[in-house]
Amino acid sequence: MRNSLHAYEHVRSIYFPIGIGVFALITLALLGLLIAGARRRRAGGRTEATRFEAVYALALACVVAFLLAVTYKAETPLDTVAAHPLLRIHVTAAQWSWRLEYPNGRNVASVSSWRPPVAEVPVGEEVEFWGSSRDVIHGFYIPRLRFQRQFLPGYVTRFDMTFGQPGFYGGACSVYCGEQHAFMHFELRAVPRAQFESWLRSGAPAESSAAGSRA
Amino acid sequence: MSSEGVRTASLPLRWAPLRALASTDHKRVAAHAVAVSFAFFLAGGVLALIMRSQLAADGGVVSQNVYDELFTMHGSTMVYLFVVPIGLAAGIYFVPLQVGAAEVAAPRAALAGLWLLIAGGVAMWSGFLTSSGAATASWWGFDPLSDSIHSPGSGMELWIFGVALVTIGQLLWAGCVLMTALRRRAPGMTLLRMPVFTWTMVVTCLMTLFAFPALILALALLWAQRHFGGVLPGGIGAVDYQQLFWFYGHPVVYVMFFPFVGMVAETISTFSGRRFFGYRAFVVALLAFAGLSMSVWGHHMFTMGQVTNKYFALTSTALVVPAGIEYLDFLGTLWRGALRFTTAFLFAIGFIVQFLIGGLTGIVVASPPLDYHLNMTYFVIAHFHYTIFAGSAFGLFAGIYYWFPKVTGAMLREGLGRVHFVLLVIGTNLTFFPMFLLGAEGMLRRISAYPLSTHWHGLNVLSTIGSGVIALATIVFIVNVAVSLRVRRPAGNDPWLAHTLEWATSSPPPRYNFRELPPILSYAPLLDLREQAERAKAPA
Repeated sequence: MRNSLHAYEHVRSIYFPIGIGVFALITLALLGLLIAGARRRRAGGRTEATRFEAVYALALACVVAFLLAVTYKAETPLDTVAAHPLLRIHVTAAQWSWRLEYPNGRNVASVSSWRPPVAEVPVGEEVEFWGSSRDVIHGFYIPRLRFQRQFLPGYVTRFDMTFGQPGFYGGACSVYCGEQHAFMHFELRAVPRAQFESWLRSGAPAESSAAGSRA
Repeated sequence: MSSEGVRTASLPLRWAPLRALASTDHKRVAAHAVAVSFAFFLAGGVLALIMRSQLAADGGVVSQNVYDELFTMHGSTMVYLFVVPIGLAAGIYFVPLQVGAAEVAAPRAALAGLWLLIAGGVAMWSGFLTSSGAATASWWGFDPLSDSIHSPGSGMELWIFGVALVTIGQLLWAGCVLMTALRRRAPGMTLLRMPVFTWTMVVTCLMTLFAFPALILALALLWAQRHFGGVLPGGIGAVDYQQLFWFYGHPVVYVMFFPFVGMVAETISTFSGRRFFGYRAFVVALLAFAGLSMSVWGHHMFTMGQVTNKYFALTSTALVVPAGIEYLDFLGTLWRGALRFTTAFLFAIGFIVQFLIGGLTGIVVASPPLDYHLNMTYFVIAHFHYTIFAGSAFGLFAGIYYWFPKVTGAMLREGLGRVHFVLLVIGTNLTFFPMFLLGAEGMLRRISAYPLSTHWHGLNVLSTIGSGVIALATIVFIVNVAVSLRVRRPAGNDPWLAHTLEWATSSPPPRYNFRELPPILSYAPLLDLREQAERAKAPA
């Protein structure tokens, strides 16, 4: 499962209900204690329960182990890159633009901060990205895929992404990088392989998408 | 008071405010530090209100660049000039009193910390007066964005110097408080009889002393990089700066948390009429928490691909264990207690409920597959404002309502206090809860405008309304302080029937704190006295 969207949804579906459950439990217990304590005139009861707390700490450690197991299982595929990717895209970030380069030499770059680059990717395949920055740290973030990676100057950041559904994937720079950071966007369009091949061959500039496709 | 006269007579300072700032009485130093950091809280809050206006109006209130100055100075002010110093200042005031000491250890160093706080804060804020404006590289000051190419101008220089100065001052304070707890305890005050607040300050100071030098080093390297180059080269420099910064930057999160945990613990045990529950387990949990806190910094770098994510996910998630014990002890203290719903108590309960939201969402972002999406979004903003504002600031107000009578000798008004509490609960949740939803949908932090979407706009407007309610609540609090100081209702030594030594002396305490000390046989010596008196009465 190298699909970051699925990984996110899977871990979320375990973490969030537990979190909400714990919140409800503690809040209800607190409410009960407050109601009972409001009427009480004399305080009493023991003030130490070390053995109970030790057992409780052990139970918490088990919860931690369970959460980590879920996290690790989902994370491993996200952090590994395919040995022989079908497609590798080099992405270069700079203040405040993106440039995407394809193996056949085709490249797509920002014209200005108001015209984000629009590039195509094949749907349902593992696409490898090699990202780097020309100046400060930037973040390559696609909210619809629930995934981001930072691009540093002098380093190549490698990661795979799978675009499970056809359509537009809005992207933005996630790491604050100076004045025009808020406008450093890009767009990817996931299309079937054949359509992608013809787009790649055609040197024609990609069409600008309609507004509102940014998720 | 006579000793005070002898001391000040030797000082050539005639001007009263200057003389006040030259006193080495730990109570004066701390009270001034609290006042100074609260003033910075108000200033940082004004910056937040301008940012909220910008986001509600969907741009147009301030320019891009000014917005960058605003969030940089808001974050820097709240962390370096408000929450950290006010927590340590509470330690400067109350740790000597709680351990039965006449003085803080190294009082001149404590005074120097106050001056450094003022000097550093003024330096950071004076960036607004320079032609290039204040710093714009966020409160992290990340290289290479903060280097001389991408952040030219004296605003950034002033920021580096200002942060370094206040951090040196905070190191001095941590040393003073820790040495007081370790070396200045009254006879009978063993380590395991120190009040819970003192213990939280001990771990706070340990974390400060271990972590804060890393920030000074990072700032020094950044300064050298800006002027000479070559110390933070290319991408390696960027990673190195972040390793150093977050080695400071995560423990500081707990430095901004534990003093207020201590205030909440004191408040709920006093107003439950019960000894704090599970004292020894709590102390162990605090020490474990502080130890772990030194090993979690990499979780801020999950999306960089330069740290071992799984290791930092392990240490960060493991914090659940000591945090869970602390929560159990809070609830255990309330269990079978005879509760008194004072304003301080209400704020403590507010802390327990609201911090829980911040803590639980902290477990969420400690999981890399979730953080790959949520990092840098408003989800993180919501998370840490629930910990530091909905948590620590509520703990701080619990502490203020609890200790104000001790510090000033006058009670705060309970009625205004309740209004303050209700408004602050509404404002806090209205401001910060929508940010969880915005972040989960991918709204990024540090942007002055966002893609036009009515849905995001509505949530941002809600959040901005909430920030207005917080401002209103803060005004009510200031009115309360002003009224209570003007028309004084005398507090007496111990208005709350509290447990710890600071309540065994007058309000405010004399120059050297105590005329006599009660016997210290546990971590709640005044409760011991009351229980003893009851037992003596019972057979008759």
